Amino acid sequence: MTSAGRFLAAGKVAIAGFAHSPVTRVEQMPLGVLTIETIKGAVADAGVTLDMIDGFSTASALVSSSGRDVVDGIHTVSSDWVVSQLGLEPRWVVGFQGIGQVSASFMLAVEAIASGAVDYAVVHRAMHNPSGSYHANPMVEAHGSAQWEAPQGMWGPPTYMALPYMEYLQRYGARREDLAEIVVAQREAGAAYPWSYWKDDPITVDDYMSARMIADPMSILDCDIPVNGVAAFVLTTAERVRDLPNNPVYVRGSAMGTRRSSNMLADFAMDNIIAGGKHTASKLWQSSGLRPDEVDVPQIYDGFSPVLWFWLEALGYAPDGQGYQFAKDPVATAGMTFRTGGGSIGTGRMHGVPQLLETYLQLSRRAGERQLNRADVGIACHGLPHAGAAIALTAEPN
Amino acid sequence: MPPTPSAAPDRAHPPKPIPVPDEASAGFWEATARNELAIQGCQHCGHLMHPPRTMCTGCQSTKPAFEWKVVSGRGRVRSWTTIRQALLPAFAADVPYTVAMVELYEQAGLIMTGQLHDIDLADITLDMPVRAEYTELSQGVKVPHFVPVTT
Repeated sequence: MTSAGRFLAAGKVAIAGFAHSPVTRVEQMPLGVLTIETIKGAVADAGVTLDMIDGFSTASALVSSSGRDVVDGIHTVSSDWVVSQLGLEPRWVVGFQGIGQVSASFMLAVEAIASGAVDYAVVHRAMHNPSGSYHANPMVEAHGSAQWEAPQGMWGPPTYMALPYMEYLQRYGARREDLAEIVVAQREAGAAYPWSYWKDDPITVDDYMSARMIADPMSILDCDIPVNGVAAFVLTTAERVRDLPNNPVYVRGSAMGTRRSSNMLADFAMDNIIAGGKHTASKLWQSSGLRPDEVDVPQIYDGFSPVLWFWLEALGYAPDGQGYQFAKDPVATAGMTFRTGGGSIGTGRMHGVPQLLETYLQLSRRAGERQLNRADVGIACHGLPHAGAAIALTAEPN
Repeated sequence: MPPTPSAAPDRAHPPKPIPVPDEASAGFWEATARNELAIQGCQHCGHLMHPPRTMCTGCQSTKPAFEWKVVSGRGRVRSWTTIRQALLPAFAADVPYTVAMVELYEQAGLIMTGQLHDIDLADITLDMPVRAEYTELSQGVKVPHFVPVTT
């Protein structure tokens, strides 16, 4: 029996291993070199060798609004760059450009393995922190989409994100104090995460409430901190992974948001985020055959802290306007980003990596002291609900 | 580092970014120069779009035909943000300033942003009515902003 929208390769592709570099504000070595080192680490962790890897995928975009030059191997690291430096001749090398980044590039690899195009794939994500302010841009002429924003003094994702955050507070009577509790939990979880920039560095509610404001109601602590860092995953088939050392984690389904239009600012209206996010969620539940209450480890995305509320409502964990109250329930939210792993706010701007990695670690029973008792089903979300993507993972193949 | 030539732009105090009209946007900036707000409308279905596009997202016609519809410039505040750290150095001296997301009355979901002037922060409310006014950035180039509609 098949149902509409169901992922037919569910349980056929597994994560075999991973590696994560240290994360730093200032790079310790060229990003490309760190990427190669991390990929080698992931391959070793998975119990395979580099010559066995016949597929490479990444999302390499540097999502900065600064308008600086971008050089592959220095500011971004494409799979093409990796393969050329290593002198490999894999069967399959692709990249994903867009806002679903980690999730979408991961699913490209999953689909290549499921189809038989690839036996073993490496998916990496390399993040560069530009010197100076991440989004600051000294433009004097506003061309293209910038003409609708820059002449008004509107610039950069933190200011866009302030708009739905403010709309949410105003419409539902939520307050910054409500988010303070969640960001504090986020940083507490991040303080216990081995690759966190904020390792052993939690904050208090007072820290949050007195943080420097960027664009009301967004403060500096509502934005994940830009870092240099690389993560890599090794994927293979369910058959091959049985012979490898780590507990496999299987891909159950996925979904992509489609509201990635050119009209960025209109897409940041709160209603558009939630309505589009409900489409993403509905595709995720259809693809995976799962229900929200079956997910033990819902690693929702939090690169900007209010996005947590939007994901909770889009995914169906809370009705519209009640995500901010639901988030405060420590039992109902035990496996979520802000209780374990720490997500992006708690660990640093690795885009969808913290969410995907914590889901993998919990389901493969590799989360150490953070290990949840019940961790059989997880989802890893990335980006805004209407524009991002999500992957469903399981500890068993079916 | 070589010495900075005197003709080089002053990076610490750059001028405000000037919108550069293109094929799709020229009509918008021609209208603001006349103190009018004009929105791209589809001649097939009447759908209004901002920013202007190459194809109508209302009827998806593959024979696009557009006209500039002068609108009232009035709408309601969907949201706003008060910028306290300017990511554009040209606005560093202006902080704090407020940018509003305004839904124009002519069509549900027709959203544009602009600075919100002539109001105390504490007095801004969701759905408050506003209307467009225009600031001259350089000769012949005017950028719309919004002000409260007082009854």
